[in-house]
Amino acid sequence: MTTEHDSVIEELKKHPSAVIAAYEAVRDEVTEALGPVPALRWAQQGVRIAAQGPRAWEAATEYFKASPQVVQTIGFTQFERWAESGMELTAEAPVIAASFFRASPRVLPTLAPRHISGWASLGRGLSRGTWKSSSLAARFFDVSDDLVQQVNFHELQLFVSLVQTLASRSYDLAAEALVLGQRVLPAVSEREELISLAKVLAETSWREVRGSFEAATRVGNSVDRRLRPRYFALSERLARQGLGNVSAFMVESAHSLGQLPQELQTMVLERAEDLADSSAEAVSAFLRTAPSVLDRISPAQLDTWFGRGLEFLHDNPDAGIAYFRLESARAEALLDQLSSSIELEKVHGLLRMYANALAGSEVELQEANDITHRNIGWVSVEFATTDGKSVFLPPNVDLHESKSENFAWLKVVTTHQVGHLEFKSFDFDFHAPSAGFNDYREGVAEGLGATPGTTEVASFFDLFPVRAMAADLFSTTESARIDHRITSQYRGLAPSYRRVQSDALAARGPVEMLPAQQALMETLVRLSLGQTTDVHVPSRYTEQAMQLAGLLRSVRNHEATSEDSAEAALRMYYTLSQVPNEFIPLDDWEVLDLTNAEFEDPTLEEIVARLRAEAEESEEETPGDEYESPDDVDYRGDFKPEMVQLLAQMRGQAEPGDDDGSESAQGISQAELEQALRDSTEIDFADDAEVTTVAANMMKEMGADAPQNPAGSGYNQIPHVDEEGGPLEALEPRSYAYDEWDFRANDYRPRWCIVQERIAVSGETAFYNETMHAYAGLIEQIKRQFESVRPEMYRKVKRLPEGEDVDLDAGIEALIDLRNNMTPDERIYWRRNKDERDVAVVFLLDMSASTAEAVEESSRDSDWNAPGDPVAYTAWLRARRGETARRPYKRIIDVEKESMVLLMNALETIGDRYGVYGFSGFGRENVEFYVIKEVEELFSDRVKRRMDKVAPLHATRMGPAIRHATTKLANVDAKTKFMFVISDGRPQDRGYSREGVEKEYAVQDTRMALMEARNLDITPFCLTVDRNGHDYLRTMTGDLNYEVLPDIMELPRRLPQLYKKVTL
Amino acid sequence: MANQTTQLYQQHNIEEYFIEKEPFYLEVADEIDIFEAAYHQRVPVLLKGPTGSGKTRFVEYMSWRLNQARKRDGRADQMSPLVTVACHEDLTASDLVGRYLLEPEGTRWIDGPLTRAVKHGGICYLDEVVEARKDTTVLIHPLSDHRRLLHIEKIGEVLESHPNFLLVISYNPGYQSALKDLKHSTRQRFIAIEFDFPPRDLEGPIIQHESGVDITKAQQLALLGEKVRNLIGQGLQEGVSTRLLIYAGKLIEHGIAPRRACEVAIVWGLTDDHETQASVMEIVTSIFP
Repeated sequence: MTTEHDSVIEELKKHPSAVIAAYEAVRDEVTEALGPVPALRWAQQGVRIAAQGPRAWEAATEYFKASPQVVQTIGFTQFERWAESGMELTAEAPVIAASFFRASPRVLPTLAPRHISGWASLGRGLSRGTWKSSSLAARFFDVSDDLVQQVNFHELQLFVSLVQTLASRSYDLAAEALVLGQRVLPAVSEREELISLAKVLAETSWREVRGSFEAATRVGNSVDRRLRPRYFALSERLARQGLGNVSAFMVESAHSLGQLPQELQTMVLERAEDLADSSAEAVSAFLRTAPSVLDRISPAQLDTWFGRGLEFLHDNPDAGIAYFRLESARAEALLDQLSSSIELEKVHGLLRMYANALAGSEVELQEANDITHRNIGWVSVEFATTDGKSVFLPPNVDLHESKSENFAWLKVVTTHQVGHLEFKSFDFDFHAPSAGFNDYREGVAEGLGATPGTTEVASFFDLFPVRAMAADLFSTTESARIDHRITSQYRGLAPSYRRVQSDALAARGPVEMLPAQQALMETLVRLSLGQTTDVHVPSRYTEQAMQLAGLLRSVRNHEATSEDSAEAALRMYYTLSQVPNEFIPLDDWEVLDLTNAEFEDPTLEEIVARLRAEAEESEEETPGDEYESPDDVDYRGDFKPEMVQLLAQMRGQAEPGDDDGSESAQGISQAELEQALRDSTEIDFADDAEVTTVAANMMKEMGADAPQNPAGSGYNQIPHVDEEGGPLEALEPRSYAYDEWDFRANDYRPRWCIVQERIAVSGETAFYNETMHAYAGLIEQIKRQFESVRPEMYRKVKRLPEGEDVDLDAGIEALIDLRNNMTPDERIYWRRNKDERDVAVVFLLDMSASTAEAVEESSRDSDWNAPGDPVAYTAWLRARRGETARRPYKRIIDVEKESMVLLMNALETIGDRYGVYGFSGFGRENVEFYVIKEVEELFSDRVKRRMDKVAPLHATRMGPAIRHATTKLANVDAKTKFMFVISDGRPQDRGYSREGVEKEYAVQDTRMALMEARNLDITPFCLTVDRNGHDYLRTMTGDLNYEVLPDIMELPRRLPQLYKKVTL
Repeated sequence: MANQTTQLYQQHNIEEYFIEKEPFYLEVADEIDIFEAAYHQRVPVLLKGPTGSGKTRFVEYMSWRLNQARKRDGRADQMSPLVTVACHEDLTASDLVGRYLLEPEGTRWIDGPLTRAVKHGGICYLDEVVEARKDTTVLIHPLSDHRRLLHIEKIGEVLESHPNFLLVISYNPGYQSALKDLKHSTRQRFIAIEFDFPPRDLEGPIIQHESGVDITKAQQLALLGEKVRNLIGQGLQEGVSTRLLIYAGKLIEHGIAPRRACEVAIVWGLTDDHETQASVMEIVTSIFP
């Protein structure tokens, strides 16, 4: 025994001492666990391992170190197999074996014993006998413990085979993948699917493998558990089909699926699977847009929408993809058609005109959040309201099943808001007489000694101790009056109106749950909504209910005005304030029919006495709860007469000269405004700071109504906006949204570009004048050419069937014919044809960065435009020297500008109307459109100054600029219209392409924009100074006019010539 | 045989055409008195106003009214015909004065409508006069001041107006561009009567009378007219004319559903812009059940 033991020591002594140390350290422990005989075999195995090769002792050391723990975990048979596996690994490479042994104590407790050798051979499989491969295999064992704890052996095998695939490309990547797997795999439940996906990706891109692993954790968070295997399978399918960016797809689609409930996830995923055969990109697009699509249409409708998209996809893949991306007008149109909800944006123009027609004054229509953003006292986003000048409506209506019902609702809401304007709710005048009441207001004010308030409405509300109740009574009564006027005048709308009213009634809570005062107020609201029978009223207050109903009835006629509503509210207040706000037992209620209720008119003295008494009562003396306002009626929205009058007053203040001298229009200070706001019950303020903010906002708004002109701040401020995303909205003033043509999809991308119109920065007139000097000779020449045009405007047209007088030649011929008994030609008259020249033209100057390029010196040196006349020549020479001194070289844009100056000068002689605009931009959100001269603007020094500052800026997105110019020109009334596009090269811009590669896209969009212009009877003409321009210009302009100037310096001479040729 | 064919139409020489039946006209202000005064003083009259606001009807009514007065006074032989010329872009001076016609043996002069009115003492009504060519002003000026002369260059004659002759012109200041404005030298030879669409409570009875619909519907049509006219300048160039409202009324009277009648008579006639059409249609559906 000892000898054998000694022989082990002997053997080990051949190796570095670390081995013996390791052996000695564990020998007793292992012997105890195994017994002496097996322990010897154990030791001998160690010796064999160490003997395997030069560095095998390292493996042996680890073997000994690991043994005590391993022995605890597995039986001896397995232990031997384990050692054997290690032995084999040592033969492969000692470093692998060392890792194997080192990892074993942590791995073996979770690894089934039968897989031990399998595990070892997985590691060995990674080794290819090279140094790098060995270290990869070693690495595998290092990370094994984390993996085997969660991952079953089969999955582990799959993972290793993935690593093998990667290793065949790069060991570094494979090693990275191991670490990644160690981190990610335990957290993912669909490991098999993920690995299988990753294997496909590994064929093409490591980046994608990593990305997909990272994305997998997100998938786990958002995609329903049952769907995940299918989801991974789908991703794999797409990867096989060559979808470029699978990891991004996973991140995006998981995010959007996460927004849907489980059953919709299933549905969307199924559709996506249907798409997978046709186009991987379409799947990606569809999954991304599905939540927003399902926001607008029902799941059942999704089938229709999806089916149509599938058809497009089969006909034309690009069209289909654009469709599913919602970057196609057709997709939007169908979505809109299917959707039952009404978006204000879509019906905005229609309703605006409708509102204008009804109100008889200009009414702006805006989304309700437009007013809440301004923070001037309005807070509710869902409620319609008006500030007296604009009507604010909810941005989206989806209350009913069908589109027509939703539209009807919106129309009712609009009509109600406009009704306040049409029937003059806000013209309330405290002193004006009512139509049907004895006027008490002034008497009450006198009796109470009240002082006039900030506004007419405030003066009225100020009379009452409980302002909120007075305001509620007035707005309910006034709304009822408006409702009555609308339904009796607009009989066609009345049925929808009543439906909305009865819906509003049905939505109200039970009146019995309210204390008496509020219950009666609730009754009034219900009466105002048209309920007159079956009214629940506390038995002891039936008379009061009759009184309220009678008063309400009295404003429901054609003559009643807002002053009548106020008189009624005054009397209602008198009645209601005498009712204690206490709960009434359920037994003490009765049901009334108030259809024909009448009211008894209290006397002025009674009212004054009551109000005075109430004002003197202290809070404690008042029986019952404090008064609370009734629930809102949603279709009536926010009615804020006090605020509207306040705003109107401030507006009047901002426009001097409009002052009628009445006491309240004398101006409001911020302090007064704050007081008025604090008094008003129309706004709930959290604290005093808020009052100040709102007041300040109101002051600001009324003071500075006009939008700031951003051009003054210079050209170089480019807001950066993200390129991703769908249609844009033109939100800022003077910005306009335009569609863009996607030629692959053969469809427009809706509202794709935002054109920002700005007035060009002003410089000096010197540039203009200098140019005039420099080209004095040429100018004379051009002037002569253009002046020769004038006489052509009146032409004598001969041989007409009717005219001013007999055309002598034709008459003689006719008489000869008659004498010869032949039928004469009847066309024997002449007429001066009033051929008035009625031309409007716009020039679009390319202000892209490339126009900063210097014009070649060679062309400058030639005396190409030297005037023949000696005097002009000296002037020209002098000017040329002067310029050279200023800037050593001339840029393309300078030549463009000079040519434009010459032409402008010529146009002034001929009298054509013309506009000059520059364009540039950066990205589709920011197409800059600079106004140098509007078509209708007169030529002046202002224009000269703007001309000076035309300078190279950013990129060239021609399409939207052309479209905007087209819009401008289309609004001009002229017989003939032209558009000249002067550029130095191909249209290009960030994102002005698809996938950033196809230059075709920009050219095709430009071409389409030009065609659109032509369809509006505008003749476009493209002029370019790019020598390579010919090719794409041919596509761009189709059969339209174009010219390429080989030499830029020709431009000043050529442009006027061309103009004459094209337009005359 | 030939005598048995019933003649379904009536043919008159221009100068022999008199309005026999009283045209329906509701006075909005004092325009009837003004016109009568102007006629008696032979002061030329300019009628301004949008299309379909009753300018032509007013001239017809006045012509009839003046002739009635003559009949009453026993001056039936002095009846004044009404000569109406609708002017257009190509209407020249010769179209008004007359021209030579070619005949086998030479030429023959025929008088134009203006010449006939001058000779026979008619009221010559030049409708939409700014549309006509500028050379017509050469004729209008001497006729519309104290001279009351018509120069006929081509035959070298000068015609002194018949005492009953009066020149009445109309124009629509709404849609003319600056190019087609009436020159000041022309304007200042006429007294001007402004026409606008009648107020709602007056337009209702007019529609009722002209179309035969009941007063409720007529008032609804008048309301529609008022509301649509609020859109002038915001999608509409011109408001809906009383004439169109009457047409709608006539269709309703014949049994067409009101909404449909308004659609064909008003909405589609008024504009080609789809959004404006839709808006106007919403007004229609609000007013008519």
